Amino acid sequence: MSLIEIEKLSVTFQAQGREVRAVQDVSFKVEARESYGLVGESGSGKSTILRAICGMAPVSAGAIRLDGQPLNAGRGFARQVQMVFQDPYASLHPRHTIDRTLSEPLAIHGIAESDRRVVKALTDVGLPASFRFRYPHQLSGGQRQRVAIARALMLEPKILLLDEPTSALDASVQAEVLNLLAALREERGLTFLMVSHDLAVIDHMCDRVLVMQHGRAVEELARADLANARMKTDYARSLFEASADRLLEANA
Amino acid sequence: MTPLLDVKNLRVTFDTETGPVEAVRGVSFSLGRERLGIVGESGSGKTMTGRSVLRLIRPPGRIAADVMRFDGQDLMKAGEREMRALRGKRIGMVMQDPKYSLNPVMNVGDQLTEGLRRRDGLGRKDARAKALAALEAVQIRDPERVMAAYPHELSGGMGQRVMIAMMLIPEPDLLIADEPTSALDVTVQAEVLSILDGLVKDRGMGLIFISHDLRLVSRFCDRVLVMYKGKVVEELAARDLMQARHPYTQGLLNCLPRIGGDRGPLPGLDRTGDWATEAVA
Repeated sequence: MSLIEIEKLSVTFQAQGREVRAVQDVSFKVEARESYGLVGESGSGKSTILRAICGMAPVSAGAIRLDGQPLNAGRGFARQVQMVFQDPYASLHPRHTIDRTLSEPLAIHGIAESDRRVVKALTDVGLPASFRFRYPHQLSGGQRQRVAIARALMLEPKILLLDEPTSALDASVQAEVLNLLAALREERGLTFLMVSHDLAVIDHMCDRVLVMQHGRAVEELARADLANARMKTDYARSLFEASADRLLEANA
Repeated sequence: MTPLLDVKNLRVTFDTETGPVEAVRGVSFSLGRERLGIVGESGSGKTMTGRSVLRLIRPPGRIAADVMRFDGQDLMKAGEREMRALRGKRIGMVMQDPKYSLNPVMNVGDQLTEGLRRRDGLGRKDARAKALAALEAVQIRDPERVMAAYPHELSGGMGQRVMIAMMLIPEPDLLIADEPTSALDVTVQAEVLSILDGLVKDRGMGLIFISHDLRLVSRFCDRVLVMYKGKVVEELAARDLMQARHPYTQGLLNCLPRIGGDRGPLPGLDRTGDWATEAVA
């Protein structure tokens, strides 16, 4: 049984008599401790799938199962699944200290030893404990993304949904955050479902990847197929060829 | 041949409560009718360098330079009136994000024709024809629809093309493009770059391409300046980028993941070497 099962999922937004079918009939499975990537252009529906898993998008058809069980909203879910968003400038509350941001999930779930856990969470993501009483605007983008990762891990979930976690960061900071995510995955046995438009990032982090276009699944690729350019569809190939990573090699 | 743009020892200083902060510290370069890339991380001063050429730095920022000359004209001595005659008409600038750089309450057609009508005194009909031609030049398929659209009705790629079209209408000699493609998807990115490329070739325009993406710049430009903390640490021909000598440039290249790479931890950027202390001194 797979840890995450998405079966024939469709998401339809309705506004002012218009229908936007953001996700159409998409299926995939993610095994426990596997990392799965969703890649595609903006508007391809990849982020919408993550939002649907969190119950933040109107699912019009299909099923989402975690550990074989249909989704249950509420506290149990928050302990299973957490999300890290793209823009660390927007995803942290600007008027809450880091301490408040990190201790809020503990308070909601009635978990004791908040002090110790907050300090540990900070050191686990490579931040000094002295950052505890700072505000987000006093941190750099990379430091903020580390706080966002720490917040996602406060309830010790099994699954992390990562929505373009490094695309707002400089290359060197991206490297640090990707290394941190890989180390945490190893340490805690996490399962990642990761969205990115950067094939090189997906390839670095994920075992399998689903290429999406216009809300539909185009092709699923194992990592070896991607590296050796064994894709069946023209669209997946064009994404592969347009990847900046390839450009450099063509140039060298 | 005299270069189109010549900059020597450019400095941009911001006076803050805690004393002056130098965002650009002694940058020199010259540019012919070619594509020059400026690469660096956030805070390296690459955007400030670009804006300085148009003297678009607001107080408390100050610009100082030994030489800043565009096509024989001294930009440091030019009055505000002369600068206004240059901006747009002879030196264009494409900003990073169409969401923030287009006027949200004006449709695209009005924005495109505003300059033509005010600056060039064209009639409504002529201005419209020219705007439509400019949209076609950046490969927008249905220019009529785009002319009537408001910026929020356009995708990121469309918005970016509209901004490029707008900057190209006055046929500038120099275009400064500040991260023109970083908000775009890879496939759209390739299209926008080929549009810019065609314009450099066909019109003999000079281009300053500012980006944080080393790989992109190396493919697209003739020459690359690598900036760190307000200084140029390395200048090299784009095709030699893989043979970069400077540890910072090498570090920037190595920290990027590769398709088919070994998935080990990515090397971080070591900022403790002699070069880093030298750069800050």
